[in-house]
Amino acid sequence: MKIPVEWLKEYIDLDKTPAEIAKSFTTIGLMLDKPIIKYSKGNFSTEVLDLEHRMDRADWLSILGCSRDLAAFEKTTFKMPEIYSGDIKKPSKEQIVDIKVECPDLVNRFNTRTFKKIKVGRSPDWLKNRLESYGISSINNIVDITNYVMVETGQPMHAQDLSKFQKREILIRKAIKGEKITTLLGETIELTEEYFVLTQNGMPIVLGGIVGGKDTAVDEHTAEIVLDAGNYNQVNIRKSSRRAKIQNETVLRYDKFLHPKLTEIAIERATKLILELAGGEVYENVDWYPKETPERIMNLRFARIKTLSGMDIPLKEVESILSALGYVTAGSSKESMSVTVPYFRTDVEVEDDIVADVLRIHDYNNIPTVHLDIAPPKDITPEIYLVEEQLRDICKNLGFHEHITDPLVEPDPKNDKQIKLENAISQEKSALRTEMYTSLAKVAESYTKNKIKTSYLFELGKTYEKQGSGNDFADYNESRVLQVLIGGDELTAKEKAKTTKRVLASIMRDFGITPYAIDVTGDMNIVMHENVVLGEIKYDSFFLYTEALKNAKGIPNRIQSEYKQTKTEDISVVMPKTTPVGPVFWKIKEIDEKIGSITCIPEELDTIIGEKNKNVLFKINYSGDNFAETREKIIVLINSLGMSVRELSSIANDL
Amino acid sequence: MQDDINNIRKMFEKDLETYSKSGDFDELYLKYFSKTHGLVTNLLKKIPSLSAEEKRTFGTSINTIQNELKQAITEAKAAFKTATINDPAIDLSIPEVPLNSGELHPITKTIIEMNKFFRYHGYSIAEGPEIETVEYNFRKLNLPEGHPATDLQDTLFVKEPDILLRTHTSSIESRILSEYEPPLRVIVPGKVYRNETANASNLGFFHQYQGFVVDKGVTIQHLKGILEEFHKFLFGENVVLRFRYKYYPEVSPGMGVDIRCQFCEGAGCTVCRQRGWVEVLGSGMIHYNTLKMCGIDPEEYTGFAFGMGLDRLAMSKFGISDIRKLYSGEMIYV
Repeated sequence: MKIPVEWLKEYIDLDKTPAEIAKSFTTIGLMLDKPIIKYSKGNFSTEVLDLEHRMDRADWLSILGCSRDLAAFEKTTFKMPEIYSGDIKKPSKEQIVDIKVECPDLVNRFNTRTFKKIKVGRSPDWLKNRLESYGISSINNIVDITNYVMVETGQPMHAQDLSKFQKREILIRKAIKGEKITTLLGETIELTEEYFVLTQNGMPIVLGGIVGGKDTAVDEHTAEIVLDAGNYNQVNIRKSSRRAKIQNETVLRYDKFLHPKLTEIAIERATKLILELAGGEVYENVDWYPKETPERIMNLRFARIKTLSGMDIPLKEVESILSALGYVTAGSSKESMSVTVPYFRTDVEVEDDIVADVLRIHDYNNIPTVHLDIAPPKDITPEIYLVEEQLRDICKNLGFHEHITDPLVEPDPKNDKQIKLENAISQEKSALRTEMYTSLAKVAESYTKNKIKTSYLFELGKTYEKQGSGNDFADYNESRVLQVLIGGDELTAKEKAKTTKRVLASIMRDFGITPYAIDVTGDMNIVMHENVVLGEIKYDSFFLYTEALKNAKGIPNRIQSEYKQTKTEDISVVMPKTTPVGPVFWKIKEIDEKIGSITCIPEELDTIIGEKNKNVLFKINYSGDNFAETREKIIVLINSLGMSVRELSSIANDL
Repeated sequence: MQDDINNIRKMFEKDLETYSKSGDFDELYLKYFSKTHGLVTNLLKKIPSLSAEEKRTFGTSINTIQNELKQAITEAKAAFKTATINDPAIDLSIPEVPLNSGELHPITKTIIEMNKFFRYHGYSIAEGPEIETVEYNFRKLNLPEGHPATDLQDTLFVKEPDILLRTHTSSIESRILSEYEPPLRVIVPGKVYRNETANASNLGFFHQYQGFVVDKGVTIQHLKGILEEFHKFLFGENVVLRFRYKYYPEVSPGMGVDIRCQFCEGAGCTVCRQRGWVEVLGSGMIHYNTLKMCGIDPEEYTGFAFGMGLDRLAMSKFGISDIRKLYSGEMIYV
């Protein structure tokens, strides 16, 4: 909300600099958003404060509303502007502009008045200057007055030239699909039933609550006008203005919660200014207001102020703050007071909102700072969080860099499981990723570009998938994933595969997940543990589902505190060329506890025998000294798998 | 037998010279003392078959040679080590490249640092879905349909109007409040999404850090207390704070917290957009309706909540000028 300081000072007596005023506004909820601007034109000059508006307070979209709160904070008087208090002429029956509303769900109030014999012309300088310093261009005195009163009170208003009416009637109805309206700015909008319009002789003349039409606009020839101040369904205006892509000063106010009563003040204020600046006569007209919005009386318990603030604020101060903000005391007791909530405070929902009013005017900086001395409650941190912290540490310690990539990706029309967003601004970010390899591989390219020949990368994040129709929340799945990738082209595929496998082995070791197996199905190498899928491995990468990893987690124990005699033996096994070695490896490992570790490096030691077979060397490390029985079991196992032991060579470790 | 001993000694002298060059003393040891084929071991193995007199004569000699050789090896090993350490080719003054280790993402580092603070103060960490229902993301947080404050958060919809990408980590607050009984003290770091066009300071997704406490007797004074401590932890003891009223739908009273700009000390500069203050976080007492909608009696319990964006904080801490770089290969670790 822009506040020209010169205008503000019309309602509040305050001897402070614009910077000091901005500071006070900031404290009470209207933060200075941009540097203070100095506006000058001719002899006129004022500072303009641009204050952040947080959408709740409709009255903070008016200079009056902002002034009222400032006056309460500064403990100074707040003056309402003068409104018309003279006589209003009764119109003849023919003179009345009839108001008909066919969509009462969208219109709460439509307050009107007519003026005759007015003189449309240039606005006086003070009016022009104030409007222009706020940021609205001057058009003519009538249009300027409606804009001025809108900025002053927060109520949008509209004046139309009655000579351009075919019939003295305004009918408000839902728009008809395909109907068109040309706005004041010359833009033609095609309407649907979701909009509502003000019509004249069947033709839309105003897009309800959004923008006026060209056909009945006030110009220099206008002598008779109908002035209106409406109150409409806020949700409809919100949606309609966004659909029509129109954001203006009117919409800005109408899509907040304005109170129907505000139309009265606005009409009276505008009447005063029109008669003063354009002359003419004022006539009563229809105030369509079928269901009056009742006053709200709320109870404020003094104990509640203490419950939320921890402070005892003197009753006198509470009363004076509330009164300055426009609350009226309706009754009080020792424990509480009942107050009438000012009509313009449509934001006040609960008792705590009144407490908030008391505290902010009392100034948050005057609230003491206290440390919580209550014992901390039970820890509810989920295990998965700790699991992922551990995974992150492992990857980092193994020399892998963490990256976070955008989960929003370009949609893949062929992927039915991919979740596509319905309203994303940018097409290339309108779907959720189903895997993380692609985005991490892109990061790897950057390392190559920066002359880093091999990049070791990981990301801990989520992948997303849709199942079924997507109508239910349960159809959307998020999987927590660790993606590891070795990028660059310095290493051969074989070298990358070796490192990838070692990283996987390190994670499994540190998580105490043994045995794990790689299940080879077609092109896929699935990481398994006790029939549960943990993830998938490729030569240069792997991913693991961290939730599955959490469930598979065992107790790793790498501590050896007693000396153990070990012996190593090489067992050379002949097996079919296409048989994956992993399952054999794990079967040997499981034979008994005497098998300490096994090393098997088929990539380096493989030798192809004949057309069908290969030779794989297992380096077995036995703990303890009597391992003949274990060795026998290994041989039996290998034979039972239809493979044969080619050679045994024991190396005694004497040292 | 004596000849054998002499030959071994001669052979050992030569070997010692050779092996002292290579430093492979384990192999030398095995040659003489291996349990299966060591030369001295073989001599020792012969002892039982010797006559009593021979045992007396040669037994001693064999023991002597055994001790001598073992000692010689030990000494040679030590000498070799000394010689290697004193190798003139070792120049400790020449700097070397560091060993390889991974680096964590700036966002993760920031989260870890903050978690450390809050864990110490008894907060649990919570996580939850990013694809969320309108119920947890808005309704339970006191934002009814069509409320103007929805504008503060442009929503990305997965399935309009009910399923969306969470616009703030407060959705986890409403989940935790609905699922757990108080007392609660929780922090929520996580990704959130907004329907925005990407530029240097905005992206369709970013990170937030949320915290909330629900207990008996919790007041805004405690909120100020923890926030003051937290800011000191983040920005140093000398940080100057400013508390002001700020509206957020899910809290009442709401409170904004700023730190005095550390570059201009409040005078106004480009960093603080001439404000003199930098907004760090939003907070407030958890809204009466939020507690009620989550099944907590607001007359019995009160609570506070606070939340902040992590990206700008991480960017300023690590000198990254463009948010897009945080999440693409344009930021690498060297």
